[in-house]
Amino acid sequence: MSERGRAIAGVALRRAVVALWGVRFGLRRGRSRRRIVARQLRLACEELGPTFVKLGQLASVRPDLVPAEAVFELEQLQDRLPAVPTDRIRAIVAAELGAPPERLFATFDPDPIATASIAQVHRATLANDYRPVVGPVLRAGASVAVKVIRPGVEGRIAEDLTVASRWASRLERLPHLKRLGPRSILAEFRSSLRSELDLRNEGRVADRFARDFADDRLIVVPRVVWRHTTRRVLVSEFVEGWRLNELGDAERSGIDARGLATHGAEVFLRQVLVHGRFHADLHPANLFVTPDGRICYLDFGIVGRTSPEQRIAIAQVLAATVYGDADRALRYSRELGLDVPERDAGAVRDAVATLMRRHLVGQEPADVRGFALGFLSMLADFRIPVPEGYGLLVKALATVEGVARSIYPDIDITRTAAPFATRLVAAQLGQPRRLRERLPAATRAALREILA
Amino acid sequence: MKDFVRFLAAWALLHESADEGWKAAIRRGEGLEPGSMDRGPDAFVDGLAALVNDEKERLEHELASDGTDDHGPRPVDLADKLDAVTFELAELRGRLESLQASVDALASRRED
Repeated sequence: MSERGRAIAGVALRRAVVALWGVRFGLRRGRSRRRIVARQLRLACEELGPTFVKLGQLASVRPDLVPAEAVFELEQLQDRLPAVPTDRIRAIVAAELGAPPERLFATFDPDPIATASIAQVHRATLANDYRPVVGPVLRAGASVAVKVIRPGVEGRIAEDLTVASRWASRLERLPHLKRLGPRSILAEFRSSLRSELDLRNEGRVADRFARDFADDRLIVVPRVVWRHTTRRVLVSEFVEGWRLNELGDAERSGIDARGLATHGAEVFLRQVLVHGRFHADLHPANLFVTPDGRICYLDFGIVGRTSPEQRIAIAQVLAATVYGDADRALRYSRELGLDVPERDAGAVRDAVATLMRRHLVGQEPADVRGFALGFLSMLADFRIPVPEGYGLLVKALATVEGVARSIYPDIDITRTAAPFATRLVAAQLGQPRRLRERLPAATRAALREILA
Repeated sequence: MKDFVRFLAAWALLHESADEGWKAAIRRGEGLEPGSMDRGPDAFVDGLAALVNDEKERLEHELASDGTDDHGPRPVDLADKLDAVTFELAELRGRLESLQASVDALASRRED
């Protein structure tokens, strides 16, 4: 076993022992047990460094693969590392772009403005005008953010993934874990991680988001400077503002916080349900509020996608959920692949209705996160697998609420989601293809009603 | 049986009267000048009836043609397509600029 392999095994073993002690060697059961194990999993990821922090972040948007408690624990992963010396950053920029940053930009700040597990960000100013893919020209002198992949991080991740692959193969031999498919999960995560290490992918996604929201004056997506962007360097417009986790009362007082939170929630729903492409790593550190009261999206490393069929079913489930209709929510959930065994159907329906009453319907404000966590845990209790699109919806709703509350703490996002989902369902029903599908059955039903 | 037939007759009569009223509203609405829907409730209903009728005919045509419209795309579709192609072109320009930056960097390293 390599040195790194031994280090990983050591951390995993230590955290497993702490978790075992926490769950009293299996005496604790259900949600309490899952919560304790999830916490140790998060701490292990943080201890093991960039690869595992990233794997944890990827897992935190996949409730179909990991238990709900782990999903909500892993989203708290701290992704911060000490800064890399500027000389090494300069060397990477020079290797990638053919000249040191001082020759490429009018100014380059040697002190980083952000350091994370994969990349480090420096501020600079453009030496010449640049025409971006979307939006107006960036003028010479405009501030830009220069994001640079940390030196050695690709090698470290490759080494860690080799060790993780060996572990996944071993785990797959255990009958209890084989059904989870650890090797295929790791292969999927490996592909996502590889994509994240090529910063051009993030630039392309940013351009597509900018286009999706080009007509929305309250949304800002930093413009990418492709002339200075390669696999390891991403240069984009620098946007002044406050990260959502830095937003205090003083900052809120100068903007329409309630309106912005409501709009932010609707924008996210548009991403998931209209454009089919959404920012899947949405947390308060990845969003800015600008001094003129607009929302700026940053860091498009993890992006989720929804198919047109998923979007229709998701809108129906969303509408049913926010209006507290458990039967309808479960009926359309089946279209998203949620397979509730016949013997459990009544109990699951009652559990969903109870959760809706406890967290959503008639609650001021509604607690979507509580509902999402309770719902996913309930599915785990009934041993009902969570389909990918479905997990996506539940997690997305909880995320929307968290982000909106960072802007305006008292917001009730079901008040935004309800009319939005209703409009969407109505618009979908009005599409010729849907009408063509539904008209014969609707005509037959109307005739039956008249002749009954 | 007689009551049932009478009920259907009443339903047909109601439907016929409503249909005639609707068609009359459409005729009046089509005769309205643009922008005159705000002249009162009657003008609004007539104008709305004409708009709905236009949309109904368009929908009927779409359903019948099964998306294979031989009259060509509507102006709004053309605008969307133009926007999509313009974006793709700009995206391609971005990719080329990025590749050019990589090529320049490799060339300068070879010179060193």
